[in-house]
Amino acid sequence: MDVGIKIIDSRGAACPGPITDLARAYRNSKVGDIFEMWATDKGVKADTQAWATKTGNEILETREDPDKIVIRIKINKR
Amino acid sequence: MKKVLIIGGGGGGLILANHLDTNEFDVTIVDKSDLHFYQPWFLYIAFKGSKRKISRPIGELVRPGVNFVKDEITEINLDERKAYGSRKVVYNYDYIAIATGTSPDPDSIPGLRQIYDEYGDYHSNVYNSQKLWSHVKNFKGGTIAIGQASPTCKCPPSLLEGAFLLEERLRGMGMSVGTSDPLSPSNENDPTKTGEKGKSRIVFFTPFPRAYSAEPMNKVVEPMVKERGIEVMPFFDVDTIDVQNKTINSLEGDSLKYDLPIIVPPCKGPKIKFTPETVQDEERFIKADKNFMKIPGYDDAFAIGDCNTLPTSKTGVTAHLEAMTVSELIQGKYSEFNGRINCPFDTAYGKATFVIADYNNPVVPYPPTATKHFMKMSMARIYWMTLMGTADPIFERFFNITKPEKLNRKYSVPE
Ligand SMILES: Cc1cc2nc3c(=O)[nH]c(=O)nc-3n(C[C@H](O)[C@H](O)[C@H](O)COP(=O)(O)OP(=O)(O)OC[C@H]3O[C@@H](n4cnc5c(N)ncnc54)[C@H](O)[C@@H]3O)c2cc1C
Repeated sequence: MDVGIKIIDSRGAACPGPITDLARAYRNSKVGDIFEMWATDKGVKADTQAWATKTGNEILETREDPDKIVIRIKINKR
Repeated sequence: MKKVLIIGGGGGGLILANHLDTNEFDVTIVDKSDLHFYQPWFLYIAFKGSKRKISRPIGELVRPGVNFVKDEITEINLDERKAYGSRKVVYNYDYIAIATGTSPDPDSIPGLRQIYDEYGDYHSNVYNSQKLWSHVKNFKGGTIAIGQASPTCKCPPSLLEGAFLLEERLRGMGMSVGTSDPLSPSNENDPTKTGEKGKSRIVFFTPFPRAYSAEPMNKVVEPMVKERGIEVMPFFDVDTIDVQNKTINSLEGDSLKYDLPIIVPPCKGPKIKFTPETVQDEERFIKADKNFMKIPGYDDAFAIGDCNTLPTSKTGVTAHLEAMTVSELIQGKYSEFNGRINCPFDTAYGKATFVIADYNNPVVPYPPTATKHFMKMSMARIYWMTLMGTADPIFERFFNITKPEKLNRKYSVPE
């Protein structure tokens, strides 16, 4: 695992959903942090995109593994 | 006899205790309070002024053979199998289940403590709910900002339930609700802003992308939110509150002016010192695996209900189902929790729905009906039976006919 990347494991979360964990991590973050979010909830891609646009942070990568959706986010604004 | 020690006599702790065979196990519940509260009713105290008695002594809610001790646990050493009470009392165990729920943390956000003390809220306790009611019933007009301060909260539907019940209340008091642009709450030309008599705005702020976090249920309730004039500020995670200028500022960079603030404080896990301390996350919630509620690295320690880190909602129903699984596991049977949630959701005006899902099935877009409202209200009456285990057959049947995969086949509209 890359050093300095914070894994946010939200697999299985349907309600209130993965944004809970992302927002929690954001509160304790600093500029330059990288989050890697793991989720199974289909809505996670659109929600994370909307969140990144709203907060001014950057999505580095979105990929679909067989067992999960993986989204990497870079914190540019805090 | 093996000793089972249960910390917390809330829904999770009581259901576990009452499902263990006391001929085989020496079962003890330790709770810092004598009383157990039916928390869902906080809503009806805060927004309808209900005077219903919602507590009962824990000692009367345990089956014969289960011991109850009033004490606050301050320290748990999982390696030595010992828990420490307030007067240096030591509790030894063979199995431990931690079911301490959450505790409100109004001090983690600047300005929130003052709001919490002055206005109360509808999540923390009876006293705070009564305090909030005294402000709601005397509200004369202006903007009410209502929502959760941070994403970690009990019972996800309860937040919006608060806004719905508030809207019903204000209209019942003859007030108008809504009209102006939610994105410019500080608009100086807005007549409602200055608290003009009889005119009100309800601004529901939420850290989530939409009024209700889970999209399928949002589709059901969002039209109702709009129709009733409730304004929504999404992605609004409270950062600071400027009490002097009556403004709430979000981490995401927005601000919201209020005349009456209704803010549910962030909630945290128990204030207990653990050995090893790595079992708690940064908000003190206790790490547990999502199917067996076992604390990682320990076969004899479980965390159930609101105090754990499971990726599911913090609700009484999950606490209930997790407790049932843990009781089977302790008694040597196989059982697994599948993440089932079943949160009643009062949409006001005599209707309600349920938020139903599990780890493998998304939330059902289940429409509100009067029958479901009747069911939610009946729950308040049979609640005490569910704690004792005497309502198990009714529950089993209900959970069976409302499996999310079945309901989704009926209600979900394919993309
Ligand atoms: C407004 C509102 C509406 C809700 N509506 C619903 C609903 O409709 N349906 C639903 O299923 N759920 C609902 N819930 C959620 C539900 O009330 C909780 O999820 C449920 O009570 C959790 O049970 P628990 O056993 O985990 O914790 P709790 O019931 O909170 O019990 C924890 C117990 O641990 C004790 N304790 C804490 N720390 C210590 C310590 N250090 N030592 C000893 N004892 C300790 C406490 O005194 C308490 O008795 C609602 C909650 C709120 C606030």
